[in-house]
Amino acid sequence: MTRFVPFAAAVLLAGTLPLQAQQATTPDTQQPTTGAAEGPSPTENATISQPPAEQTTEDDTADDAFATAAQPLMEVGTDWPYWGGDAQATRYSPLNQITPENVDQLEQVFTFHTGDLPEGTAEGKYSPEVTPLKVGDDLLMCSAMNILISVDAATGEENWRFDPGVPNDAIPYGATCRGVSVYSNPDAAEGDACATRVIQGTLDAKLVAVDVETGAPCEDFGENGTVDMWQDIGERVPGWYAVTAPPAIVRGIVVSGAQVKDGQAEDAPSGVIRGYDAVTGELAWAWDLAAPDENRNGPPEGEVYTRGTPNMWTTAVADEELGLVYLPMGNSSVDYYGSNRSDAENEYATSLVALDATTGAEAWHFQTVRHDVWDYDLGSQASLIDYQGTPAVLLPSKQGDIYILNRETGEPLTPVGELTDLPKGEVEPEYISDTQPVSEWHTLRKDPLEEKDMWGFTPIDQLWCRIQFRRANYDGFFTPPSTDKPWIQYPGYNGGSDWGSVAIDTDRGIIIANYNDVPNYNRLVPRDEVTSKPINEMETGESGGANAEGAADPQSGSPYGISVNAGWRNDLTGVPCTRPPYGGIRAIDLETGETLWDRPLGTARRNGPFGIPSFLPFDIGTPNNGGSVVTAGGLVFIAAATDNLFRAIDIETGETVWSTVLPAGGQANPITYEVDGRQYVMVSAMGHHFMETPVGDEVIAWALPEN
Amino acid sequence: MSDIAASPANPPGHETSWGVKILGWVCVLFGAVILAGGVWLILLGGSWYYGLAGLGLAATGILLNRYMMEAVWLYLVVWVGTVAWAWWEVGTNWWAEVPRLVAPTLILVLVLLCIPALRRHPSKL
Repeated sequence: MTRFVPFAAAVLLAGTLPLQAQQATTPDTQQPTTGAAEGPSPTENATISQPPAEQTTEDDTADDAFATAAQPLMEVGTDWPYWGGDAQATRYSPLNQITPENVDQLEQVFTFHTGDLPEGTAEGKYSPEVTPLKVGDDLLMCSAMNILISVDAATGEENWRFDPGVPNDAIPYGATCRGVSVYSNPDAAEGDACATRVIQGTLDAKLVAVDVETGAPCEDFGENGTVDMWQDIGERVPGWYAVTAPPAIVRGIVVSGAQVKDGQAEDAPSGVIRGYDAVTGELAWAWDLAAPDENRNGPPEGEVYTRGTPNMWTTAVADEELGLVYLPMGNSSVDYYGSNRSDAENEYATSLVALDATTGAEAWHFQTVRHDVWDYDLGSQASLIDYQGTPAVLLPSKQGDIYILNRETGEPLTPVGELTDLPKGEVEPEYISDTQPVSEWHTLRKDPLEEKDMWGFTPIDQLWCRIQFRRANYDGFFTPPSTDKPWIQYPGYNGGSDWGSVAIDTDRGIIIANYNDVPNYNRLVPRDEVTSKPINEMETGESGGANAEGAADPQSGSPYGISVNAGWRNDLTGVPCTRPPYGGIRAIDLETGETLWDRPLGTARRNGPFGIPSFLPFDIGTPNNGGSVVTAGGLVFIAAATDNLFRAIDIETGETVWSTVLPAGGQANPITYEVDGRQYVMVSAMGHHFMETPVGDEVIAWALPEN
Repeated sequence: MSDIAASPANPPGHETSWGVKILGWVCVLFGAVILAGGVWLILLGGSWYYGLAGLGLAATGILLNRYMMEAVWLYLVVWVGTVAWAWWEVGTNWWAEVPRLVAPTLILVLVLLCIPALRRHPSKL
């Protein structure tokens, strides 16, 4: 019988696997749609809008007051000057001191505590996800509640901090600040206050700019260094409208969207994207997708930006050369019902939109889901690459598809296929699209679920999941929402690829993509059964922001609320209803789109029945959130999984060659940088409420021993 | 009664074997649950395995309660069938084998451990 011991051990692992995480956000609603987008038929993915006469990407001659010329880019290597590493957001570093051969000698150099831990009503809502920048001698970061901090990159000693005083009630779904951006004013003299400034968006929807040297607010930016993004959004409901991503800065314009808390109401804050002068904080333009021309310079007195429109909660990427900014848009408010959305919403939801960052005019957009009723927001930052000689933008999606588009036109450079005859369901068959685009170049998506994919740790819970599988509506990918019975959404809204995005080794020509592989088990809840209230009708402090996204959202204004079992866990035991792995990491050939290697990401060490850690080192493949860094040294650094490990993977083989235990969840993108010839790798260990990893406040650096 | 009472102790093999009894009732209980769920699954158009395995497990439990050696043979059949079915469904995907094989194998071990007691006890038909 001893040969069954491994099974017995395995059962120990099987227990509660914290499931996923994600960030979904969305937007929108309906509202009058003025100025509908001139639009391309929904069957075209890439739509090139007619550029307004002088729009174009090379227009450096615009004569308005805002800077319009391409500005010098900062280089990655010694520094990590952008959230995505380099200006192209490839997360690739040319550093090569640490290699697969010596990585096992890595030692911790310092750990820095931000001191920002949840208090009071923020308990259970922390998901900081922060990735520092490294510029010059300093690390620049924000804490979960937007405290800006500068730390010496070699010693971990604090230089300064600035606390903008974000209140707990501003937390939307989680207290998150993924990072900050840095801007150097080309017209300032060295030594001028705020010649180089750190800019962040806050949970209470402010843009804050401080001096990189001192942390003092920039007097010339907005009011004492602050711009209020609630302006022209409408009634101020704390927690409904929050910035969690670092802004993109293009040609001196700070571009930001915001997270609009999901599932509340169709009459939700607008998903408007705005550009602000990086020096003065003055509004340069607004892109209100339902009224792009009318509201270009803000809505008329007494009005607000079009409510309920698709928002951008994740990170945009700036293209300084073309003067464009690429916006991964989310879905309308609300997510799971669409019949009353406007044409403009249908045109832009879940699309990558390229705007002229100097004028706010659209250059093109590319839609990844038609009539999205699955919360398939684009969550990943796009990356700028050269694809076989063409300037391109690489876009991963939550469905796992990877698209490569011409940066100037939005035309796909890799094959885009078309699913046809998709089921339309019974709830809104007129609205559901029976065709959808898919990437025929590469997808992270796995085969549709079958009954035998159901899981548990005994035959009884497996049987219960099989019964649930048979009781649900499921016709594979893009099964439409239903209310008579639950429906299975696979992949779930957690991805595929989410906000951590992918890393691209542009020298070796390898894309590294970590991904989730978990379904959701959902049901539209008829209005008369809905008990939850939208956030704007709650008493102060009543908000239950720690719920899994969509767990019981009212979707006020639509005929249905939405119940989401994120990760589809057994309602009796909490164990996932589908077999592992729940997440993986994959290397993809950038030339061909072929998989080079693919493996589960995350061990079972923290998982076990009844939440008891098993400490077993086997790769089970856990849900993961947060991306990777790839280095010229041939390593992939990634935490992300729910096992609280930070690890190095050999990019050639996919094997883990080093790992260390973090004091809290590592749901953040790592970085690497150099000080005095020594290469450091760094990740924050701050945990994630939705990923069910322990919360912390540490940023940790490792390096090889000094001789 | 007086004859029996005259013995210094119960004759060997006639005292209750609590281990066998408990295992018997556990098998009946879980077998009934799996049988019920399995029938539901069959009605939903799903796998027949659970209905059959639940029936076999419940029957094993009844036989154990009667101290019948046939319990062991019947459960061996259930277990071999389970292994064959599991292999057919998911092969060497060991994580997927966990719910299919671990608990049935633990039960097999417990059933095998009953053999000495079953040998001692005359069957109660």
